[in-house]
Amino acid sequence: MKELLIIIPAYNEEKSIERVVNHVISDYPEYDYVVVNDGSKDNTARICRKNGYHLIDLPVNLGLAGAFQTGLKYAYRRGYQYAIQYDADGQHKVEYIDKMLVEMKKGYDIVIGSRFVEENKPHTARMFGSRIISTAIFMTTGKKLKDPTSGMRMLNRSMLKEFALNMNYGPEPDTISYLLKEGVSISEVQVEMDERIEGESYLNLVRSIKYMIHMVVSILVIQNFRKRDKRYVSGNEKERSGNA
Amino acid sequence: MSDIFRIILLIVSVGTFLFIIKRIRQAKVQIEDSLFWILCALVLIILGIFPGIADFLAGAIGVFSTVNFIFLVFIFILLIREFSMTIKISQLENKIRELTQAIAIKETEKENKKEGEDL
Repeated sequence: MKELLIIIPAYNEEKSIERVVNHVISDYPEYDYVVVNDGSKDNTARICRKNGYHLIDLPVNLGLAGAFQTGLKYAYRRGYQYAIQYDADGQHKVEYIDKMLVEMKKGYDIVIGSRFVEENKPHTARMFGSRIISTAIFMTTGKKLKDPTSGMRMLNRSMLKEFALNMNYGPEPDTISYLLKEGVSISEVQVEMDERIEGESYLNLVRSIKYMIHMVVSILVIQNFRKRDKRYVSGNEKERSGNA
Repeated sequence: MSDIFRIILLIVSVGTFLFIIKRIRQAKVQIEDSLFWILCALVLIILGIFPGIADFLAGAIGVFSTVNFIFLVFIFILLIREFSMTIKISQLENKIRELTQAIAIKETEKENKKEGEDL
């Protein structure tokens, strides 16, 4: 078994899943992967079976958070040291996983594949949303995150356990903000992402506004009241608070 | 708005807010489901502290009594909420049915396979 599991949540990705998974298998055999089919209505599951991919096939649609958590539970039970969320639509580039893993091993709990560590954020509507979320995170944690909405996040063993076994640990910026405030160490690594080739973005205007309200209220108000199960505070964090 | 009404408004909304926060602390509710109650409580708290806002809005749409305006707005909000809850529950029931069927069919297939091996 390898030390890193690539979790590929897939919902109606029949057009891109083969290209994405084949690339991972052929060029990066040093990592394990698993496709989590989130109750797709198209041929995603059939294509995975035909190719003999590692597949967890959810019988109903759980949404991204539920699908990703399924992958994390699998990673936790199988004993993987690290897990990374990897989009099935081809936006993420597997070439950068190595760089993120190197950063991870410097002792971080979470490493985010960020588009804006070295590059500047463009002034588009989508990035306006990203700026608002960055500001909200800064207001609650006092720390700056350049790319809070990046879906490319790598977790270490203690984080993947915490994400796998608890409620309210969706792979979204509000969870990251909460953990940042709790003292979890998070690093950002510059990556490139491709524009999505197939399929439409999940976010239309109404959904985007809802998402923004959800994130802002959650980060500014709700996350401040959460109580963390102390069993999950990792060795990393204890060491740091001891040094402080 | 009378002062007593404002006080009732504040007590109820702060109470709702604290209750839902407590549930979140205990990890008994998902954040996306708590959002509606947090936002409602915040709106009521703001209206309780600044009744002028409700007076202004009531005047703007031609409702004479501010209290009636607040009732009206919240009846609408709750109706919409009720509607979306109905849809959500029906989707949940459907998911449970599909899950149960999937599990049962898998079990049967497993048993059939076993019997096949015995033969």
